[in-house]
Amino acid sequence: MTSVLKDEALDTVKVPIARRARSPLGSKWTPYLFMAPAALYLLFFQGYPLLRELWLSFTKTSLLNPTDNVWVGVDNFAKIFSSPDFQHTLLTTLIYVVIVVVGTLAAGLGVALLMNGNFRGRGIARALIAIPWAAPAVAVALIATWMLNSQYGIVNRFLNAVGLGVHGGSILDSTAYALPAILVTTIWELFPFVAVVLLSALQSVPKDVQESAMMDGAGVLWSFRVVTWPVIRPTIGLLALLMTIWSIRRFELIWLMTQGGPIGATNTLVIDLYSRAFQLNDLGTAAAVGMVGVVISLFVVTANNFISRRAEKENMR
Amino acid sequence: MRRITLGTTARVIGVLIVLGVAVFPLYWMFVTSLTSNGNLFGKGAQLLPDLTRIGEYADALVGGNVPIWLLNSLVIAAGTCVLSVGLGIPLGYALSRFSFRGKAFAGVGLFLTQMLPEALLVVPLFALFRQLHLLNSLGGLILVDTAFVLPIVAFILRGAIDGIPRELEEAARVDGCRPFSVLMRVNLPLIAPTVAAAAVISFFSGWNEYVFAVTFISDPTMQPTSVGVSGFIGELTTPLQTVMTVSVMYTLPAVVFYLFAQKYVVSGMTAGAVKG
Repeated sequence: MTSVLKDEALDTVKVPIARRARSPLGSKWTPYLFMAPAALYLLFFQGYPLLRELWLSFTKTSLLNPTDNVWVGVDNFAKIFSSPDFQHTLLTTLIYVVIVVVGTLAAGLGVALLMNGNFRGRGIARALIAIPWAAPAVAVALIATWMLNSQYGIVNRFLNAVGLGVHGGSILDSTAYALPAILVTTIWELFPFVAVVLLSALQSVPKDVQESAMMDGAGVLWSFRVVTWPVIRPTIGLLALLMTIWSIRRFELIWLMTQGGPIGATNTLVIDLYSRAFQLNDLGTAAAVGMVGVVISLFVVTANNFISRRAEKENMR
Repeated sequence: MRRITLGTTARVIGVLIVLGVAVFPLYWMFVTSLTSNGNLFGKGAQLLPDLTRIGEYADALVGGNVPIWLLNSLVIAAGTCVLSVGLGIPLGYALSRFSFRGKAFAGVGLFLTQMLPEALLVVPLFALFRQLHLLNSLGGLILVDTAFVLPIVAFILRGAIDGIPRELEEAARVDGCRPFSVLMRVNLPLIAPTVAAAAVISFFSGWNEYVFAVTFISDPTMQPTSVGVSGFIGELTTPLQTVMTVSVMYTLPAVVFYLFAQKYVVSGMTAGAVKG
């Protein structure tokens, strides 16, 4: 604050009043001064750690002494990529991300279309639907773990009652059911966000065009494809990007429910990174896993930009 | 001509089912917190809360670590809120109102920081904070939580400032206001609701945060609620009712305030990704 005022004071001395009036935005340094605090902050707490992670990924470093680094070149990367466990981790991450993205988009779109009409209590319904997304992830993990409890959890009580009980009821301890259980929990937590965003996007679908399409004998599906879909497609693309990035980063839910187990069945990239660093004390390899995650994230963002640009061009034609 | 239309009744039934699915787990958290041991581990499930047990909530707040956890969460959340809004307002203003060299670069940089998963940076940040002696401190958590919510706050505020007509600012400037006081006196009062929403978002990103808190804090008196309550998982000495009581107290503020700020949260989250 003081630096901005000081700069302005200097300005007044040097620059005649008439010129000041012509450049009402202050000197050319003004925007940089406004940006500087946040920019320096982010460089220190995001930019620098990113570079440091890159450096760590080429070293052998223990958690117990993080400043004692031995340069090992690409050894960490060679180690993780030749390990079948890490290949399994990448596959698990891919499955997790794809199913979460498809599941949240499908459920969210369905709910948005369902709620995009006139009915009593619409406002309350729109507010309540957001609750799963608003709850802290830690609380979601706690309640999901209790609901899935093998003996007394409500899910098993229900499944047993309808005759679909899992043997022994241990869903989170089973290599077959742990990942599906975590997927369902994740989709439950995220579909409201998709639904709420799509609901607001649906408001800009021209109602009269939709109605006249229906009058002309177009079915619901056809009018959705021709009238609704083009309007919401950019929003869907954006949501797909957000869901992908959020799924790659999801930590609390998986860590608290299964810690990546049983036998690596739910071990996604982020979980793998965390347990390498803070259970195996191996910061170097963890950083290498982290860099793989960074590269994947950047690839996703770039691919998304490419696809949305091409879609824009097609729309213009 | 046959048309498939969704009747109003069918629609209402559908909405009710969806709402049931959305709300049930949190309802169940509340029911569990108010159920006796006999009924929790009995043959059938008790589906309604036993409101005579509401005293559990007062009991949870007396003694033990729960009040300390809640207080720590409050400090982290408030600090994150103040710091990120304080840094985000001038940044959002610069991105909205000025054109300058490096602006595109700054926008892309900001967008990318928002896209990088926080858990990917937990390793270098741990090493850095150890050197700076910021482990085991609430201040350290405020610093790191701010770094991850600041881009979102800045995008939300930029969007709001974009919506203010420039003429208002120019009038103030002709009257001799400097850029900083224009921002404070003209722009800020006009975007007050958005600033409030950004404050709510940053507050609860500090309140909810888990991965840095569980990694950086080992002193039990410094733990926030997210870490404290998750420590109950797999531990057998604490009654389940207490776990769920604390969970409800931890969840309720977040849910209530998000409902209030929902519109802004949604537009902010998406604006950042669209415009970056």
